[in-house]
Amino acid sequence: MIAPGNHDDDRSSRPGGGEISCREALDRVYEYLDGELGPEWTERVDRHIEVCRRCWPRFDLERRFIRHIRERGFVPARSRRLEQRIRTLLWNDTGESAP
Amino acid sequence: METVDREARQEAFEREALVHLDELLGLALRLTGGDEARSEDLVQTTCLRAWERWGQYQAGTNCRAWLMTILRHAFINEYHSRRRAPTAVDYDDVGERSVFEELGPEDPESRFFEHLVDDRITAAIDALPEEFRVAVVLSDLQGLSYPEVAEALDVPVGTVKSRLHRARRRLQSELYDYARETGIVS
Repeated sequence: MIAPGNHDDDRSSRPGGGEISCREALDRVYEYLDGELGPEWTERVDRHIEVCRRCWPRFDLERRFIRHIRERGFVPARSRRLEQRIRTLLWNDTGESAP
Repeated sequence: METVDREARQEAFEREALVHLDELLGLALRLTGGDEARSEDLVQTTCLRAWERWGQYQAGTNCRAWLMTILRHAFINEYHSRRRAPTAVDYDDVGERSVFEELGPEDPESRFFEHLVDDRITAAIDALPEEFRVAVVLSDLQGLSYPEVAEALDVPVGTVKSRLHRARRRLQSELYDYARETGIVS
């Protein structure tokens, strides 16, 4: 199903003076958001999303999604059994081999 | 005198290094996809290695980051030695279309992920195929650049881009399906 928000290579949506299509921008969304795109393409994408009313919300959502994964994906975990095991190995058995 | 010195070093190691055990285990669990036994072994290896090298560690520098690096290296060594041949990851595009593309960005439901609890997110990361999961963990949870991930995994930068792209699409899709099944979105 093609939803209304779909971004095909619709050149009619391109801003006057813009250099890239929605598809060209969206294909690079993650590289752009990860800061891995390089200055030339970053500027092109910047110029596109500043004026494209369809791409900007998509980029914003992807950015929020990635930020959410980064913030919530890393969860410390506790294991008392492991703590015990490590302390036993470190302090009881091999103290002599310490630096 | 030697005993006193050893005790002081042990205390410093407890204070600066072992306080990060929970975070190390958290990282190991994401890298291994929730494998508790492997994760505990990785944390143990990390701690023993850190203690062996404790003399090289400069007090007051970022001990947490140093330990995380040791753990990543331990994992990556294991990852390479364990993989006899590349896993057959399903590289077709089925299910890897952006959920946001289908929803339409103005749809209020497009921010479904903000309503998910943390353990759904970690479960979705754990469920990714290993090649995708490791790329996401190194990049998104550890903050490595594409070239750093590429070097760690011994693959071209283009492969890192592709794996990250597919991994994030799968995460979106999996989390959106969950949100729908549980009524978070209709």
